[in-house]
Amino acid sequence: MKFIRVNMSKKTISVDDVPQAYLGLGGRGLTSIMINSEVPPKCDPLGPDNKLIFAPGLLTGTPLVNTSRISIGAKSPLTGTIKESNAGGTVAAALGHLGITAIVVEGQAADGGLSFLRINRQGEASLLPAQDYKGARTYALVKKILENYGEKTSVLCIGPAGEYQLAAASIQASDIDGHPCRAAGRGGLGAVMGAKGLKAIIVDQGGRSADPIADPAAFKAANKVIVKVIKEHPMAGQVMPALGTAGLVAPVNSMGAFPSYNARKGVLEGWEKISGEAMAELIQKRGGNTTHVGCAQCIIHCSNEFVDEDGKYVTGSLEYETIWATGGMTGIVDLDTIARLDYLCDDIGVDTMSTGVAVAVAMDAGYKAFGDGAAAIEMVEEIAKGSEFGKILGNGPAAVGRHFNHSRVPVVKGQSIAAYDPRAMLGNGVTFATSPMGADHTAGNVVGEYLEQKLDPLNPAGQVEASRNLQIATAAADCTGLCFMAYVALGSPEGGAALLKAINAKFGIQLGPDDVPALGLRVLKAEREFNKKAGFTNQDDRLPSFFYEEPLPPHNTVFTISDEEIDSTFDF
Amino acid sequence: MKVRVNLYGTLSARIPGYRQSQGIEVELPEGATINDLLVRLRIPESQKAVVAIDGRIRKASDKIPGDAHAQVLQPIHGG
Repeated sequence: MKFIRVNMSKKTISVDDVPQAYLGLGGRGLTSIMINSEVPPKCDPLGPDNKLIFAPGLLTGTPLVNTSRISIGAKSPLTGTIKESNAGGTVAAALGHLGITAIVVEGQAADGGLSFLRINRQGEASLLPAQDYKGARTYALVKKILENYGEKTSVLCIGPAGEYQLAAASIQASDIDGHPCRAAGRGGLGAVMGAKGLKAIIVDQGGRSADPIADPAAFKAANKVIVKVIKEHPMAGQVMPALGTAGLVAPVNSMGAFPSYNARKGVLEGWEKISGEAMAELIQKRGGNTTHVGCAQCIIHCSNEFVDEDGKYVTGSLEYETIWATGGMTGIVDLDTIARLDYLCDDIGVDTMSTGVAVAVAMDAGYKAFGDGAAAIEMVEEIAKGSEFGKILGNGPAAVGRHFNHSRVPVVKGQSIAAYDPRAMLGNGVTFATSPMGADHTAGNVVGEYLEQKLDPLNPAGQVEASRNLQIATAAADCTGLCFMAYVALGSPEGGAALLKAINAKFGIQLGPDDVPALGLRVLKAEREFNKKAGFTNQDDRLPSFFYEEPLPPHNTVFTISDEEIDSTFDF
Repeated sequence: MKVRVNLYGTLSARIPGYRQSQGIEVELPEGATINDLLVRLRIPESQKAVVAIDGRIRKASDKIPGDAHAQVLQPIHGG
């Protein structure tokens, strides 16, 4: 129940009890409600008035499985909106085990100086000079940090892109093996961290001052049910350990909704070569790991370790959205190239999605040919060099579109769409248009509804309602610290009851089933309120015009949800 | 009628010697439905498998058209 406030202007740190106004909040709920309360909506996202907030979930730090998500929030330099991006790895659990509810980074280093924020096993925080690590890429940085502070250390850090304050810069989180391959990628939060002058947060693992659990016996019983429900769930218990999120490549192509060649087609030619099935086969053949633990306390093991022909580590957890952005959108149907691009993005500290789409926009503008893997790698390397083109690319697809005077840029509020074309999955288009975060696959993704046949992806009926309900559910899920896979598995009556029981047992409260969506609504309202104060209107809740005008093969449909229907999404 | 079938996710592990590049061919009576195909493939209901043909997820009661390429999928949620 501790708040660590770090003022980068004054180089001061204060540790306080959680303020009354924020009690009972965690994860995205805490970051978004705090930002709405404390950050001037019209401030410069890269200036001293913005705040960068790190918050483990409500259940993080407990023994509950799969609760290792950390929410990171700020005003986004990419979108200008409020932003929460969450990541897995080990740092959320490390903070939770120290009873740290949030780290709030304020102000700005005066002289462009760089610091580490170190939190030791007693929960004591200190700022350390990090000027020697200026320009360091994340893999080398984390290796050095682990050498200096021990292997039982969790790291959140930025690479060169964050130091350059590029709008697609990520914050990378170390995984179980100490690889900085988990990312809070979206929204350019790495640029905010760079602007603050903070190179890394270094947290000792194994803290023993976690917040107490009010009813340990009830909590233990709930955890037992949750483990059973997750293990028995077809997706969380079977598909994820076998293929990870890359298992989506086949279904989304099979439904003609895989935005390919900068969203010119809905099926990628040769997608079978970069599917989850192909990736698993290749990794296994080379002696790599397809069922890998990436995050603390994980029982799902959706992660993987991609290796080269010699069995040497290339990158950690090649995910669906990355395969899509760097493969589907660019027309690159080669897993080795995609894995290399994933590694480079993690190492340089840029969002794989925004970067892949930025490359695709450049290709679409004629700068390079679709499918040219060597060109894509060269382009991404430019970001690390800090060249003029690298900075344009690192500022995301909209910046690339402006540079080439090219209008086919698949972004909403400046952030790229994800791996579901709005013309072939209408509900995802509603989410992309209306999410307070800009286009976002984590804010209310409808693909599961289509695959479970609850909704027809091409029929406008029910899409707004589905998006709304999922945006509310996701906003609540993002408060808990649970990973998405676990949260989906807990969607059953048995799982939902166990989750509620766990929350109530931890805090000694009596929430009912209606309180969970109420929390999601509260979070969304705070986010929408911030955006409104920042100057956003319903006119910003629109997809780029080509989605309304260019039919997408193979269904040859356009986005057909009217503006009035879109505007009713948040009619609450 | 012959139906060309590809299985995705963990479903292909049910077919010994299955190769994704080739898939399998299943002989079904004319007028067979999606459900008939899933029964023939011995995919239990608990898997909640669905079948896409020509880019559309088909209902269990839908008749399989001639010369169909059936893609058998497991529901996955994205986020």
